[in-house]
Order: sequence, then structure tokens, then C-alpha cells
Amino acid sequence: MPVVEISLLRLQRLVGGVTKKQISDSLPFLGLDIESQNGDLVRIEYSPNRPDYSTDFGIALGLQGLLGTKTGALRLCVRKSTRYSISAKSGVSGIRPFVSGIVAKNGRIDEKTIQQLIAMQEDLHFGMGRKRTKSSIGIHDLDKISFPLIYTTTNRDHKFTPLHHTNEMSISEILSETDVGQDYGPLLGQSSQVPIILDDNASTVSLPPIINAAVTTVTTKTKNLFVEVTGINKKDTQDMLAVVATILQSAGFALESVRIHGAKNSSPRLDTRNIAVSSMLINQTLGLNLGVSKIISSLRRARLDASSRGQKIVCTIPAYRLDIFGSMDIVEEVALGYGIWNISPELSPSQTMGEANPVSQKLRSLDKVMTGLGFLEALNSSLTSKRILYEMTRRDPKNHISVLDSKSQEHTVLRDSILAGLLENLSRNIHESYPQRLFETGTVFEADGMVHEQINFAGISAHKDANFTEIKSVLQSALKIGFGINITTKTGTSPIFERGHCASIRLDDALIGTIGKIDSEIIANYKIRVPVVGFEMSLSESLLGLNGF
Amino acid sequence: MSQVFHEIEKKIIASLRDSQKQTPESLEISTHLSPDQVRRGIEWLRLKDLAIVTESRSSVISLGRNGIESLQKGLPERRLVDLLRDGPKKLSVLQKELGSVFGPAMGLARANDWIQASSDAVSIKNMPSKLLGEYTLKLVGDKKIPRTQIDAGDLAGLLRRPDFVIEDIVKTRHISLSDSAKSIQLSDSDGQIDVESDVPEVFVARTHPLKDIINEIREIFITLGFSEILGNMTQSSFWNFDALFTPQDHPARELQDTFYLDKINAKKTGTAAQIRGVSESHKKNWHYLWDINEARRMVLRTHTTCITIKHLADNNPDEARIFSLGRVFRNEKQSYKHLAEFTQVEGVIVGKDTSLRNLMGIQREFYRRIGITKIKFWPTFFPYTEPSLQTMVYNDKLGKWIELFGMGIFRPEVTKPLGITRPVLAWGGGIERIAMLRYGMNDVREFYDNNLSWLRGTKCQ
Repeated sequence: MPVVEISLLRLQRLVGGVTKKQISDSLPFLGLDIESQNGDLVRIEYSPNRPDYSTDFGIALGLQGLLGTKTGALRLCVRKSTRYSISAKSGVSGIRPFVSGIVAKNGRIDEKTIQQLIAMQEDLHFGMGRKRTKSSIGIHDLDKISFPLIYTTTNRDHKFTPLHHTNEMSISEILSETDVGQDYGPLLGQSSQVPIILDDNASTVSLPPIINAAVTTVTTKTKNLFVEVTGINKKDTQDMLAVVATILQSAGFALESVRIHGAKNSSPRLDTRNIAVSSMLINQTLGLNLGVSKIISSLRRARLDASSRGQKIVCTIPAYRLDIFGSMDIVEEVALGYGIWNISPELSPSQTMGEANPVSQKLRSLDKVMTGLGFLEALNSSLTSKRILYEMTRRDPKNHISVLDSKSQEHTVLRDSILAGLLENLSRNIHESYPQRLFETGTVFEADGMVHEQINFAGISAHKDANFTEIKSVLQSALKIGFGINITTKTGTSPIFERGHCASIRLDDALIGTIGKIDSEIIANYKIRVPVVGFEMSLSESLLGLNGF
Repeated sequence: MSQVFHEIEKKIIASLRDSQKQTPESLEISTHLSPDQVRRGIEWLRLKDLAIVTESRSSVISLGRNGIESLQKGLPERRLVDLLRDGPKKLSVLQKELGSVFGPAMGLARANDWIQASSDAVSIKNMPSKLLGEYTLKLVGDKKIPRTQIDAGDLAGLLRRPDFVIEDIVKTRHISLSDSAKSIQLSDSDGQIDVESDVPEVFVARTHPLKDIINEIREIFITLGFSEILGNMTQSSFWNFDALFTPQDHPARELQDTFYLDKINAKKTGTAAQIRGVSESHKKNWHYLWDINEARRMVLRTHTTCITIKHLADNNPDEARIFSLGRVFRNEKQSYKHLAEFTQVEGVIVGKDTSLRNLMGIQREFYRRIGITKIKFWPTFFPYTEPSLQTMVYNDKLGKWIELFGMGIFRPEVTKPLGITRPVLAWGGGIERIAMLRYGMNDVREFYDNNLSWLRGTKCQ
């Protein structure tokens, strides 16, 4: 979940007319979790579907609604202007085809505002923009730019001074030498041509989606902003612009339009949408009995507009509310505006009879039998390591299944044996008193073109007198009492068991597992000082009556 | 108090009832037990607070080398006066008779004016009636006699002389019965054993403590009318993500959050209709070209919701309460609060009474049954439910609210494309978190450490 750091005091000023306590009490009911607080600074976790909560301006909008100081949708006021335009050239079509933009004037830009705008930009790049792949933003000082602009392509020798630098660099240099160049350069592919925004003096404004030019850097002296969004999809590009425009208007800027044309581009519309929902669906879904006017006022508290047509509620949704897909989203907005704390739980009696799955029941009875035989149940991870499964036990890794890019060396391979894990457990308990007897049932995995999952059952016994007879007696009783079956053992070999002390477990001549004395070399590898005996067998097909899941 | 006593203990108690405050030596005599039996018996009784053992220090006198010689041959001065009893004797004769004691004997006799000596002979002057020390020598003999039993004046002479007597300080133990021992019944307890003494520790064989909580939660779901379904831990992305309205470029689907299987793809995902429905829902709502190959990538399930959604898609029940319980996986760095693999339970309700209030009601009932009564609901976000809530429960021990299960109503964007026509309530979450609260644990990794002292020592909940 993304996190934004904000000042409570600043948030209080932005909301207006509420106490800090009202703010902290209300945040969770917007779906915002206070992750930590350090004096005035709070770190707030927000849902990735609400990029408008990536700034205090957006959070203030939500709080105003919930606390009732300002309700209804924030309508974007974009003054039509003919002074600003961007012309897209056909060269961008194959690389990053779409551009959009807006001008924001006469805002107050202090350090905190710059911080919030940068945080917003980062969040939009990461979430909506999918790490700048789908869309990305550049925020510029409007007064350093001569309109009209062109969105075109250039070759990699093109030079300009990038943001945070003082010298001119070629695009190749920027891509190889700067951090952002290295991170996002690959998005430009192998083409010799790269997208570029140039102003009327042919000076560079931005190299999307990598970096802005230094000349348009926003500082606390900046009064007017120009924002451009580029992307691979027109709708995503304009959606991102809608979020930025809303935040800038909430931050006190006056918006003016930028005309976009050329190469299938067009000016952004930033229009509201309407969704009609019946009040019956709302009440049925929430389990409430709200009148039409209560529903409308609740939606207004969720910063939406709504009107009624009989029992139908027509909800008007501002362009930045990209999280709203359809009627159920409106239902949720009613619940949020009404206040989750106002909705009381109601228990309805069950119309159905519950039952455990037969496999769970079987395994549970086997647990009882094994504890009755003096075995302690162990639980190990299904995702484990090559060391435990193969290296320490000399087992053959030929059908093993790995996962990609695990963050932990101990969790890279799906287990194909439970016994190997139990041996590892013994090795971690050599200082505990003996006898040590463990068992486990659980899923094991094997690759044969696809994944084959089955349930195995393993047991292990370690103490100074442990021997084959003991473990066979245990297995024999467990299966007789647990499943009503009699198994036989036939001389066999297995890398984990000692020669001459190893057998296959057979049920009606079918091989279902192995049993024996653990090889002394393996025991020595694990620094265990007593003999160990154990078994592992498959439960799935023979005993649980499963035909896969 | 019904106690069983060893024969040794009984004999000692009986003897002490006749005569309080005895020494071990006197008990040996009165009980006819060996010194070792007496010693052990006294110790047992003392540990049971039945015997009081006190210790005194006293001085005892025994004879030294010269004392023993004097006991056999007489004191040197006695031998001298005995030699002179029949008349004067020459010095040389006396010297020969008395040997090494000649000097001390002559010195003492002169000093006491018992003899007179001329140039060549010694004769009695005053015959002494009694010699100091003779009484003590006879009294002590070869024994050790407490100093208090010896006449102090008689002993003093010997003490002054070299190696006649030896004085030792000895500790003496005195054993008496305690008050509680006085009322003990020494009835027939033959063949009985001491049932109150410490015994060696044995370890219980048991199911894993986490499994106990898992079983408890399974039972709660069953008694709330839910039936259990099982499913594979390896799943196609189709059921884990696509069917649950998670777009194919969503960050949660990246390698850094989800475990993908190496070199294995699903041959079959959903039915043709299911695939078409999901594909269209993604295209319409997320505006991208949905790719079946991405949906074929196999993952370790990140939740059990893939099991329940597939069950609903395949069966489209009019009414059902089902649940799924099992391991789920996240590509996380393990820490005291995060595991890469943990246990999740998830229930769904289809049919009547499927409002948000009903969903909250079943949560409250579930928590009540695991002993949690202070709960509240906060809004949250899941890609596949709308509305979505999370439960916050108050933990008294930690003194704070903790996030537990999530819940919501499956989005129409999820259900419609799969042909599910009824509203579906879904709720669930991680079980380890609840188990940690129940066992008062701080580190979730301990559940899978299989540390024997923990497994053997953890109290049942």
C-alpha cells in the first residue's frame, strides 16, 4: 500500500473548521490507515485505487465531505484559453503516442506544496502510470516556456540541460549516466528516435517519460505551472491529467486549458460521468432503509453529486474518481458518506448445514492416531530450500519446482518430501531431551509438465534405541487404526535410508512410500547423535479417495 | 493428613516419641538401624518438616600419647613415689627405671615437696595421698568424654602437660519431632509409596498448537453453516488474479509480490465462456488487451479466494455457505510479523441475507466465538469486492486495535463475467495472526520453527 507523509496542522488548515482529533478519528473512515505519527507528521497508508489521496489536498477534500464542512463533487473550473497548445507529430505514434496538458495559475507554492506535488507525481508514476510505462507527468514553471509546444521525436544526440543538472547532456548521456535515465531509459526501446517536448524557441521542455529540462524547474518563486502527461493510451493519459488537475485546483490554482492536436491527439475533456443506481439496490446491498434524500446527502459527503429520478439515484462522478466502475461503487460511496460507524452488524440465521471436507476429517483422525502413538505434530513450510530437500539428504532434485525471484534463500523450492523437513527439525533440536518423535501431513509437489499436488504423511523417531522395528510398528498401527488397511514392507533402497535398513511400503503390491533407518552420513551431516528412523508415504489416491482437486 | 512413610521413617518417629531430642548415635541404638539408614531417615523427615534438626558444639577430651602411656604404667610421679615407697633409691637406679619420664617426675615431686634428695639417694619426704590427673585418666580411658563430665581441677593438671590429653570441638546433631509430626498416624502403610516426591518430566504428544487454532476455526465455520472446499496451492494466474478483476499489469502481480512457478504454465484455466467473460470485463473496465498467456502463468496462490471463486463459477449455487482453508504465499522477506507462507481461511455466502450488515453480523459472531468482543469496522480496498471493509479488534494485552479479517461483496465486474448471478459475501484472513494473539506470541516465525521445547511446553488454548 502506498504511503503519504503529511502535516496534521496543514491538513487542518486545508479542511477548515475542524479539530485535529476530528481529523485523526475520521481518517480511517475514508479508508486511510495512520501507519505512524511523529508529532505533527503522520504517515498515512492509502489504497492504490485512490491516487487523489496521494496529497494532503486530496485527503482534505475527502475529510471535508465526511466531516460535513464541504460536500458535493469538486467541479473542475478550466478556463478556455487559446494561448496554450501542443502539437503532436506523427513520429511519436510508434513510441509514446499521446500527450495532454493543463495550465495552473496563481497558486501559492511553498516547500510543503512542492513536497506534496512531488509525492503525488511519484505515486501517479508508480501506480496509475505502472512505473511510467502507461503514463507519466512533467510539472513545469509555465513562465519559462514559450508556447506553442510540439511533441515530437528527436535522435539521441539531442542535447539539453536536464533537471538537477547544470550542464548540457546528450540524451544518450542522460540515459546512461543519470539514475532516472538508467531506471526508465529501457521504456524507450532500441529506437534511435526518442520523444521530446520542445517549445516555440526550440528549447527542450521535457524528455518523456524520463526527465524534465532544468530550465522549467518549479521553485518556491514559481507562480504558474504547466503540466504535461504523456502515455501509450489516450484514456490513461487523460485520466492521469484529471487527477493532477483536481489536486492543483484544490491547492488553489486557477486552471486554464491547453489545446492538443495532431497525430490522433485531442484536447482533454475532464468531463464528469453519470451512473444511475436504484435506491433499492443500495438499501438491499447495505441492509439499510435509507430514503432518497439521505442517499443523496450521503453521496455528497463522499464528494459526489447526485439527484433523484423517482427511486433512481443519478450520481455524477468527477473525472478524477477513476476507482468508480459501476453501480456497486456507488453503493459503497453511500456507505462511506453515511458513515460505516452508523451501520450496525446484523446476524442472520444460517439456512445451510456446514461440514468439514472429508479429506480434512481423515487427516484429523490420523493426527489423533499419531499423537496416540506418542508422536508430536510438526508444521513445515511447503516452500522450502534445495539445501533441506536435496543437499542435506542426497535426494534427487530431478522433478523439483522452483519459484522465480524469491526474496528468501530458504523459500525457493516446493517440497517433494515431508521427511526431509522433519530431519531438519530434529537437527535444530539436538539439545532437547530424547526420544524425539515427530509427524506431519501435508501437500507435496512434483512437476510432470504441470504440477502434481498430493498429500503425504511422514513420521520420524530419534533416540538411542530407535530401530526399524519400532517405526514399522508405528506405521502399521497408524494405518490399521487410521484407515483400516494392512501394509507390507519389501526390501528396497533410497538415498535417505541406510542400506539394509530400508524398505518400500506396499499396499496391495502398490508402492506408496518408503520406510527405514536414516543413513548415518545424513545423520552426521545434521550433527544428530542418536539413530533416527522414519517413513514417508502418499495418502492421496490410495487412502483419501481423491481424484485430484 | 494421610502420608505414607518408609519403615526407616516410622522407626525414627517412634523412637523420638519416646525420647525427644536424640543424637543420631542414640537413634541407632534405639531403632537398631544402621548409621546410614538413620542419616537418610533423618534427612527425609527434615525435608517433610517432620523432624527438627539442631546442632550443638561441645568439647570432648581423649588421651594423648603420654596420657595413654600413663594410663598403662601410671603417671610419672606415681611411678616415682611407688619406687620410693620401700625406701630411698639411688639416683642412677631411678634414672634407669623411669627412663624418659625421670626428669618430669623428679621436677613435679620436688616442686610438691614430696621427696628429699641427698647426694646419691632420693627418699620420700611427704607421701602424697592423691595425684592430680589420675582420676581423669581412668575416666577417659580409650574413649572421648565430654569435658563437662570431667572434674575441672583434675583435668587442669593434665591439660598443662604435653600430649597427655587432646581436646576436640565436636558438632552434635539433635533430632526432635516437629509439632506436625506429633499428630501423625503411623498406621499400616506397608507396600505404599511416597506419592508426594518429585518425578521425572515426560512430554506430551500433541497436535501442533497452530493446528489446534486452525481446527477451532474450521469448527466455527462449520457451526456457522459453512462447508469446506479444498483446492490446489498452485494456481493459474487466471483464477488467482484475472477472475478477481486484477488487471494484468497490476503491481500485485509482479514477481516481487507473487511467487511464479519456473517454467510451468497452466494448460487449462477456465471454461471457454469463463475466459471470454473475464477477458471482456478487463477490456471494458481496464482498457487494455487481455492476454490469455499471462493468465496461464502458474503462481503459488496469494489467497484462498481463487478456490472459492472457481467453485462459485463452476457451480453458480442459488444459496451456499462455503469456506476454504489452507496455505497461501506472498513473496515477502520473512520477519517477526511476516511469513512468505501462511494459513488463510475464507468464507463466502451466496443467496438470501447477503447485505453488508449481514456480513458484519457474521464477523461479529465469528469473533465472539474465538473470544473477541471488542470490534469495529473500517472501510478498505480489495480489487474484487465492493463495498469492502476490514475488522479492527481491540487487544487488551497490547492495548491497541489490530487489523484482522477483511470482507466485502464480490464486484459485479467479478461475478457477472463468470456467470455468477447472486450476490456473494466474502470474508477471511490470516489465521497465524489470531493464533499469535491467543498464544501471546511476538514472532510469527515460531509457528514453523518446530522448536521442541515450544511444542512440548505451550499450553493448550
